[in-house]
Amino acid sequence: MTLSESHSRAADKPMRKSDKDSGLSHGSGTVVSSFIRNFITGWGSAILLACCGIIAWEALVRILEVPDWLLPPVSQIIVEWWQKKTWLLSHGWVTAQEILVGFLITGALGLSTATAMFWSRLLQRSIYPFLIASQTIPVFTLAPMLIIWAGTGIAPKVIIIVLFTIFPITISLMTGFQSVDPDMTAMFRTLGASRFQMFRKLYLPSALPYLFSGLKVAAVVSVIGAVIGEWIGAGSGLGFVIKNAGARNQTDTAFAAIFTLSAMAAVMFLIIVAIQARTLRNYPSSGAVQH
Amino acid sequence: MKPPLLSVQGVSKNFRVSRHESLQAIHDISIQADIGEFVVIVGPSGCGKSTLLNIIAGLLQPDTGKVSLDGDDAVPRIGKVAYMHQLDLLLPWRTVLANATLGLEIAGATKQQAAQKASGLAKRFGLHEFMNRYPSSLSGGMRQRVALLRAVLPERNLLLLDEPFKALDAITRAELQIWLSDVLDRSNRATVMVTHDVEEALILGDRVMVMSPRPGSVKLELDVEIDRPRPEDVVTHPRFVELKWEIMSALRASTITV
Repeated sequence: MTLSESHSRAADKPMRKSDKDSGLSHGSGTVVSSFIRNFITGWGSAILLACCGIIAWEALVRILEVPDWLLPPVSQIIVEWWQKKTWLLSHGWVTAQEILVGFLITGALGLSTATAMFWSRLLQRSIYPFLIASQTIPVFTLAPMLIIWAGTGIAPKVIIIVLFTIFPITISLMTGFQSVDPDMTAMFRTLGASRFQMFRKLYLPSALPYLFSGLKVAAVVSVIGAVIGEWIGAGSGLGFVIKNAGARNQTDTAFAAIFTLSAMAAVMFLIIVAIQARTLRNYPSSGAVQH
Repeated sequence: MKPPLLSVQGVSKNFRVSRHESLQAIHDISIQADIGEFVVIVGPSGCGKSTLLNIIAGLLQPDTGKVSLDGDDAVPRIGKVAYMHQLDLLLPWRTVLANATLGLEIAGATKQQAAQKASGLAKRFGLHEFMNRYPSSLSGGMRQRVALLRAVLPERNLLLLDEPFKALDAITRAELQIWLSDVLDRSNRATVMVTHDVEEALILGDRVMVMSPRPGSVKLELDVEIDRPRPEDVVTHPRFVELKWEIMSALRASTITV
């Protein structure tokens, strides 16, 4: 881009006619091509791909005359969503509440776990294996027991979300604490900092970029956790809607709920990205952990 | 007689490199520095200069020997000695002001007190226009000035400088050497700097100690009897050239014998 730009800028200066002409034509070409390039490198490429996918879906379903209960065309799903939007959104709100409560609990739990592991090597050695082990449990298999223990209300869903998200958040925080430069720690010590001051003024702010990458992972998996919870036993929520619609061959309703769900995950992700951009605006952008 | 501010007596330090092997970093080093003095320790890379400073700062404990501040070798030194590292170690999420006042903040000063205290020196340091900027927008030389401001603001009597200009380009380094000799108030402070740059040692030092390669020990100690303030062309001063040659010969001799 810079090359062709400098080329077109050179064309503004008085030059021999032939040079000027070729420079100008080059310049106008640059405007279009740089627009296309910006579009592709920004969100444009993703939007374009989504549009292509939707058109292909719509076309294939119509051309091959796929029955609605097998796979409805996108247009029908959109109509279905619009007609049932209040109902879908009220179920979406149930799911969102589960996710928010789960997120808050994981945040508090993850922060205190990581902090405890930071303060005590013994605690770190004791807790770490269980953190890993919590990831080897297929949480889905726990769900029936959770229903027995915690009922069909919000509790079992929240527990599943916490089990899903505790790992990325705790591990990212811990990694953040461990990545602090020992020279920085030494600098704080020579200024007479207590361990608590060091934690608050050095370790915690240093770990923030890591925490945000953990939060982004957690945002996505928490949606999955909520749906699993609702799948097993619930009277409301988008997972419940999808399960019931599937059982009744209401494929369009199921898809409308799925789209709502993924939109929710996307919104959560974007909210975290926005908070991250604001919080970390003065951090060096080289951090490999900031996707 | 009043004991010197800093007294290092016969300090040695070993580092364990494996289960059976250990490496002597410094051997039987003795140094004294008093208020008003600028002592420079010159030595090749890896001679244990930084180890020595870390021991003086209280970050490391010596294996043998003792370090006393004001004649007291029992008092913990950590937090009582100003220490500037070769890297600026600025916190990217803090402004220049907040970085510079970190030490005051840790010592319990309020934001207002700290800012007030910083503003006086900031002008002298040439930083007053940058106090609300973030470190990422500053040049390496400016960042190093902030690091020095952070080190001196808590007003410790002893200032340690660990190759403070090592990470800078040659032009900025020369500029900051002159700047440092002007900006540092010597009246209430002893300064100990380590460097591998002989000219830097002679531009800044009242006394220069030459260290041998590992295990580091003091080979030569000489006074730099060149008047202050030393101008930029001090490097061409005949006495400067003589002293430089003397130090370089000592450095070379100790390198060859090892």
